[in-house]
Amino acid sequence: MTDNPNKNSKYLCPYCSTQYQTFDDLKTHILKDHKNEPIPAPEGMIAMTINGGSYSLRAEPELTLYDLIHDRLGLIGSKQFCDRGACGSCTVIMEGRAILSCMALAVECDGKQIETIEGIAEAEHPLIESYAKHHAMQCGYCTPGFVVTAKALIDKNPAPADNEIREALAGNLCRCGTYPQHPVAILEAAVEKRKFPEGKKRSLKPTEDADKLSFEAVKQDALDKLKGGE
Amino acid sequence: MKRFVHINAKTVEEAVSCLNRYGGKGSLIAGGTDLLGKMKDMILPNYPEALINLKTIPGLDYIDEKDGLFTIGALTRLQDIADHPALKDRCYALAEAARRTASPHLREMGTLAGNICQDIRCWYYRNENNRFPCLRKGGGRCYAIDGDNRYHSIFGGSVKKGCYAVHPSDTAPALIALNAKIITSKRSIKAEDFFKVGVKTTTILDSDEIVTGIQIRKPENGSKSAFLKFAIRKSIDFPLVNAAACISSAGGKVTAARICLNAVYVKPYRAVKAEDAIIGKAITEENAAAAGEAAVVEADPLPHNAYMVQIAKTLVIRTLLACRE
Amino acid sequence: MGSEEQTRMEEMFDNLRADKYPLKEYTYIGKRIPRRIDGVVKAAGQAVYTMDVQLPGMLHMRFLTSPYPHAKIKNMDTGKAEKLPGVRTVLRYDDPEIPEFAPISGHTPTADEPPLPRIAHFQGEEVGAAVAADTETIAEQALTLIKTDWEERPFNLDTEAAPLQDTAIANLEMYPDSNHINEGLLDVLELGDVEKGFAEADKIFEFKSFRRLHTWVGPERPCGVIKWNGDCIEAWVKQQRPHIAKRVISKWFGGIPMNQIQVHCLSQGASFGGWSQTNWNMGGHYCAAVIARRTGRPVKWTFNRREDFYGGSMDEGAYFYKVGAKEDGTITAVWGDSILSNQIYPVFNPLKHLVENTRIPNIYCKHKVVMINKGPTVPTRCEQNSAAHAFTMIFDHVAGELGLDPTEVALKNDGADGHDMDWLNQQKAKRGFEVRDSLRECVEKGKAAIGWDEKWHPPGEKKLANGRMHGLGFTWTHEWDDSAGSSEMAIRIERNDGTATILGMGCDNGVDAESSYCQVAADELGMRLEDVHYNPQFDPGYFRMTPDSSTNMSINGFAVRHAARILKKKILEVATTPVGKSQRGEFPPAFPDAGPEELNIKDSVIFLKADPEKKMPLSELVGASFNSGPLVDPEALGVRTPFTVPLFAFGYHTQTGTYQPNQPRPRFCRQGHFMEVEVDTDTGQIIVTRVVNTNDVGKVINRASCEGQQYGGTYMGVGRGISEEVIYDPVTGVMLNGNLLDYKIATILDSGPIDTILIESGMGYGPYGVVGIGEDIATLIPTLLGPAVYNAIGVRINDFPITPDKILTALGKV
Repeated sequence: MTDNPNKNSKYLCPYCSTQYQTFDDLKTHILKDHKNEPIPAPEGMIAMTINGGSYSLRAEPELTLYDLIHDRLGLIGSKQFCDRGACGSCTVIMEGRAILSCMALAVECDGKQIETIEGIAEAEHPLIESYAKHHAMQCGYCTPGFVVTAKALIDKNPAPADNEIREALAGNLCRCGTYPQHPVAILEAAVEKRKFPEGKKRSLKPTEDADKLSFEAVKQDALDKLKGGE
Repeated sequence: MKRFVHINAKTVEEAVSCLNRYGGKGSLIAGGTDLLGKMKDMILPNYPEALINLKTIPGLDYIDEKDGLFTIGALTRLQDIADHPALKDRCYALAEAARRTASPHLREMGTLAGNICQDIRCWYYRNENNRFPCLRKGGGRCYAIDGDNRYHSIFGGSVKKGCYAVHPSDTAPALIALNAKIITSKRSIKAEDFFKVGVKTTTILDSDEIVTGIQIRKPENGSKSAFLKFAIRKSIDFPLVNAAACISSAGGKVTAARICLNAVYVKPYRAVKAEDAIIGKAITEENAAAAGEAAVVEADPLPHNAYMVQIAKTLVIRTLLACRE
Repeated sequence: MGSEEQTRMEEMFDNLRADKYPLKEYTYIGKRIPRRIDGVVKAAGQAVYTMDVQLPGMLHMRFLTSPYPHAKIKNMDTGKAEKLPGVRTVLRYDDPEIPEFAPISGHTPTADEPPLPRIAHFQGEEVGAAVAADTETIAEQALTLIKTDWEERPFNLDTEAAPLQDTAIANLEMYPDSNHINEGLLDVLELGDVEKGFAEADKIFEFKSFRRLHTWVGPERPCGVIKWNGDCIEAWVKQQRPHIAKRVISKWFGGIPMNQIQVHCLSQGASFGGWSQTNWNMGGHYCAAVIARRTGRPVKWTFNRREDFYGGSMDEGAYFYKVGAKEDGTITAVWGDSILSNQIYPVFNPLKHLVENTRIPNIYCKHKVVMINKGPTVPTRCEQNSAAHAFTMIFDHVAGELGLDPTEVALKNDGADGHDMDWLNQQKAKRGFEVRDSLRECVEKGKAAIGWDEKWHPPGEKKLANGRMHGLGFTWTHEWDDSAGSSEMAIRIERNDGTATILGMGCDNGVDAESSYCQVAADELGMRLEDVHYNPQFDPGYFRMTPDSSTNMSINGFAVRHAARILKKKILEVATTPVGKSQRGEFPPAFPDAGPEELNIKDSVIFLKADPEKKMPLSELVGASFNSGPLVDPEALGVRTPFTVPLFAFGYHTQTGTYQPNQPRPRFCRQGHFMEVEVDTDTGQIIVTRVVNTNDVGKVINRASCEGQQYGGTYMGVGRGISEEVIYDPVTGVMLNGNLLDYKIATILDSGPIDTILIESGMGYGPYGVVGIGEDIATLIPTLLGPAVYNAIGVRINDFPITPDKILTALGKV
């Protein structure tokens, strides 16, 4: 590939962005170097899978993944708190990693698998119920970011220990300070997930006793349940 | 963010060619966690006209171990480094530095090369809308000298003897302590020679040069490394001071030592005097303390940051003690 | 007048005593409930916040902000900005639609202010221009194209020096003569004779403390949306008091009738008082309304993250103390002075808590408020920060100076209004409360939980195996939830299934007050909790005190309870009265041979007290509604199904709290907090290893929510105590750390385990004896770092936050 110092070149290769002085040069280059590649998508078009659905979208270069999912697609569960990669409220799972959608350019997520809080809730992940049960929220603005982070953790580590949960949540800021309520909720959800890997329909009217609240109590309860169930 | 051209590079050569094409107005993007923050805050007088995405280049995200040599691809995420069993075992300082960087989410995004190529940390330099056109932006003065310099350099300034902004990387001192080599599209550079302070630059990289990987010779048996970070909070924080050490010992005595501090100077600060102080001696509390004193003997703090000297000294002592057999 | 009505009236005008009419037994009150009412919606990311609102054709509006801490716009050229593609309009300070002053304070009625000022009094202030564009990005780019010619003025940033600076007047427009703005106005608190008190003291000592500026950091940025529907205005507001927002809007543009204003107050990404209490906080809406009228488009205005950082808590400044005490720890006199900055409510004296909950007979405190060129300081969870700070400082210094256990000093001085515990206990009895020693209960439970007696040691004496110094700290004060206020709530029994809907103002700040109302209504009505729901009325026609207006359950709890009691009576009347009278006859009552007093309701089932087997579920009582609604059902004639009386009741309550000087209610409930720290004396790092909170909340309603306040207050407090500080450049007056990386709020890793001990003495003035818990922990914990660190290192650091540099300096290591 040659470097072309002339910045006024007109002909840009749609495959590799190399520039050519004449159309014929570009044509020769494409036939030589990219003959067997599929026709590239128009500039700015990206394809991604969000919560299992395929999307084909136009994205300006400066559009962040957050802008795309929150503002354009209306997936408002991802929240913008710091807008600088410091708080975790806009967390989504991309290719299995919990990442910050405010610090990812949408165009760079082309071809990726993305999971948002909406997908997690739709799949009846037990985290939703355990968060509601254990009051792991106050104003709720940062809560989806915590849930998404926790989901990524449970995916990787189905039986996380207290300190592993705390480490995993160390990138999520909660101004209301609900932190101690999260490990309990996450532990319980992890246990539920192991019991019902495919998810379990949430009941609309919960009646279950919510008195076991300490991490140790939930852990013990979980162990007992698992022993009985497995 | 302002509009820019976005290019997905497919090869290193293509990325180099794009850098050349935009002649200084192109910027590389990997994890993006530093660059996008800078662009959102509009801290610079000029914006990149083009972002050249390196993540689309295949084969730069790997950790390889062969013939006593670790090679880590430039795009390897910090979390993968932190989790890598062999690195944890043999290059502990690097794995630990990666583990302590930023936050879990940022470690899933940020790359090793990005971490060492990140820009300086200074709240004047990084103030929104280019509020302080300082030396590092080609301006006339450093605002930290007369201002609030509680997080600035304790070993003097640079750029016309002025800029006191610190280099904030956690992995950089670990790489220097481990005597790593930075492999670029052009050459191989010793980690400690990699950093250079200039207007708009933090490294010696040419404008069309790209880091492709990092090589670390597996430390010989009998050597140990350590990394410690001191920050105000326990996560989501840059180091106030960090330190890495790699120590080889034989017969209870230190035979070789590499100690590096960061966030205390305009670039990673190799504590040569501390190394000299410990070589040939056993790592005892007393000898480590002497090395700690030696590490900061050249400190010349600003009005608000003298406390960092004490912390730097302490971290040197503690990293040394952590390297005890 | 019915007896319930009478009860309500009595309570309404007599809330200076214990609840006369509590329930005999509680089913849901005090329990952990299976699920918070907003739990699923918030966890699933379905809750909608004002920041999420997008309307068709909506424009985005951003304000120009001042690059200087004190400056006046001489000239402004907006031509280039107006020409930028995507910009729809630019609003300027000199446009005819912008009045010099307008009512724009959405929290407390204050004097009118300039909606788009020409003069900036702090760097970052919204001034001069607002741009509305198709996107936020375009609006921001346009702002950079505005050319402004500024006249820079002298500024001052130093609270302590401000009163002396007559050359750098911070606000020439409002306070042209001096930066000291409250001279002679609410500036002195006086009790007894301090000189006499000092004469009685065995030991007198003086000291000084500082609290550096910290701020609220609401996760959702300040924002709003305005849309005109003809002459009617529709507004989406992030406000703690949406009813005030509505009243303010009604005064705009020559007056808009209240019934032509629709206000939506959605979920709020917390504000902790904070920005929503600043005087200008409806200024954004005002300018958006002007632009919306000009363009015919809905307009959303936003602050960016940094812009939310300007301003802060009212405790910023310097405190001076002189304290006299006897050898046994009895405090005989406290003299205080303080200089605090930028308060717009200069009424909260730093020594107020000493009067409110100690027996100290002689107290005098001056309270200077000065203006500096930083943002306004407002109640920031909460206005008691300065009082809690001074209180903790004084008590711990007394213990330290006399070598006493701080819990003993606390117990020795407990009381109120200069009187001892005997007096206070008489007051408890006189007002109908069970006489309990709240502080002693807090202290005993807290000491046991943290292992105080085994761990307590003189300052600076306990080095741990890990090399760090171990420290224990204790502080205390009273509980509060005592603002004046009023509340209106209604409950309706739904047709078809007999469930209950509570109707009240929508204003969700996250404390789960709505679940608590359901618990109260369920217990009062005898219904199952799952059959009661809170339906927020987004347009604040009904009024209630919102949880972060410092008062929740003590007012709203009464209102919902009144409604429930009236409703229950109605239900039982309906169950015993013929219904559906028409030409064709009437339907017999559900319980034909019984009077209402012979019935009761439990688990949503009405039953005869004498024969519980005779019962009917509420759902059956209300019956189904058919094609023509519940009133007419030809098909079902002859069956008892339809009824004609809508089951609806309305309750309200007003309260004049302790802040009203003519209605004193001594505070009986106390809280005690214990903190264990490790201090690394070589790096200055503080590690908070354990916090034990003991809160006498009188009566627990929503247990998990109370614990949530204890957890959350602790984390917020720890952040404030060890790292939170808004930092300005001393040379240029520019804020340096207006972002979440450089302004460091606590992460999950920044505190060790937190104990949540709740004590129920019943000695609150609210329904069932409740008192508040939401504000006090975050307010007390920051300064508790002081005692804990002192106990660890044996050296006092009276400058908050206690950062590593201060510790190392105190230890002589810098």
